Amino acid sequence: MHEFSISDEIVKNVLGAVKENNGKKVLSIQLEIGELALLNVEQVTFWIREMFKGSVAEGAKVKVRTIKARIKCESCGYRGGMNLDQQDPFRHAIPYSCPKCQSFQIDVEKGRECHLKKIQALR
Amino acid sequence: MKIVRPKGPEIFDIELEKDLLAKNRELAKENRKRFDRSKILAVDVMGSIGSGKTSLIKAILKRLGMGKRAAVIAGDLTTTIDAERIEAEGARVIQVNTGKECHLDAHLIHQAVDRMKLDGVDVLFIENVGNLICPGEFPLGAHKRLVVTSVTEGPYTVVKHPYIFREADVIVLNKMDMAKPMRVSLSKLERDARQINPRASLIKTNALGGGGIPKVIEALGLKR
Repeated sequence: MHEFSISDEIVKNVLGAVKENNGKKVLSIQLEIGELALLNVEQVTFWIREMFKGSVAEGAKVKVRTIKARIKCESCGYRGGMNLDQQDPFRHAIPYSCPKCQSFQIDVEKGRECHLKKIQALR
Repeated sequence: MKIVRPKGPEIFDIELEKDLLAKNRELAKENRKRFDRSKILAVDVMGSIGSGKTSLIKAILKRLGMGKRAAVIAGDLTTTIDAERIEAEGARVIQVNTGKECHLDAHLIHQAVDRMKLDGVDVLFIENVGNLICPGEFPLGAHKRLVVTSVTEGPYTVVKHPYIFREADVIVLNKMDMAKPMRVSLSKLERDARQINPRASLIKTNALGGGGIPKVIEALGLKR
């Protein structure tokens, strides 16, 4: 959810950083989005590209690395991934349960990030 | 002969570690510190549209009879309806209109608290925007998170919204007096909630009639 406002934040940060560093044109940006960040990557990419239009970042590549979820189950002690099916169109209905014992009592250690990692630009 | 060639464009990298979701968490921590310094117990009241958030807060305030020792931040897209309803109980109230945001965030609470006189306040209720999806993802810095759903929303609200119920310290099943005409099983809703969150206090209420309110007050750690 909130793909639009997060994309807006990302674009503001990119343009701000490029200006600060005297960049003239943005070639690409690198994002890291966690599997459990509840963000649709396609939508985020779409909005960023849209918002880049008319700026020094127009046409820039938006690269996204997905951070796999890592959880610790408080019920059975399982520690590891959630084996989320990447092809499942209903991924947004992730139940947040332990893949081993199906308990909802889990601690999410990794997978909820939304990081702007790197900008490649020209000056 | 010296030949000066124009310097070509240089490709360079800007390395950042900008965590875009961190800002709300940081502001939430700041809010919490502020509440702790002023010895205010802050409660984030979340729930679906029309579940009874305002009625619940009103009923609790009425029962506690704290007057100006209680404060409320009422959140909604527009209108001051909730704030006006609560003012009648004598508490200090401020209405936050989010405009288009579907949830309150730590920044809005930070601003609201700036505008309120909170000296002498023991408890602050933050009534979130009616929404079982987004508020769960945006901690406000409250000490307790209460989520209310009512039987008039049907039997599936809990199973369909596991994230927010997982984050709750107190789960309230409201309008229990309407379970029969709605043909909704309160025990099934309780089981659904227990499965997602075995640790939360689980209370059935009839906010308009006052039923279950003392238990909610106890679960929140409030005293008269």
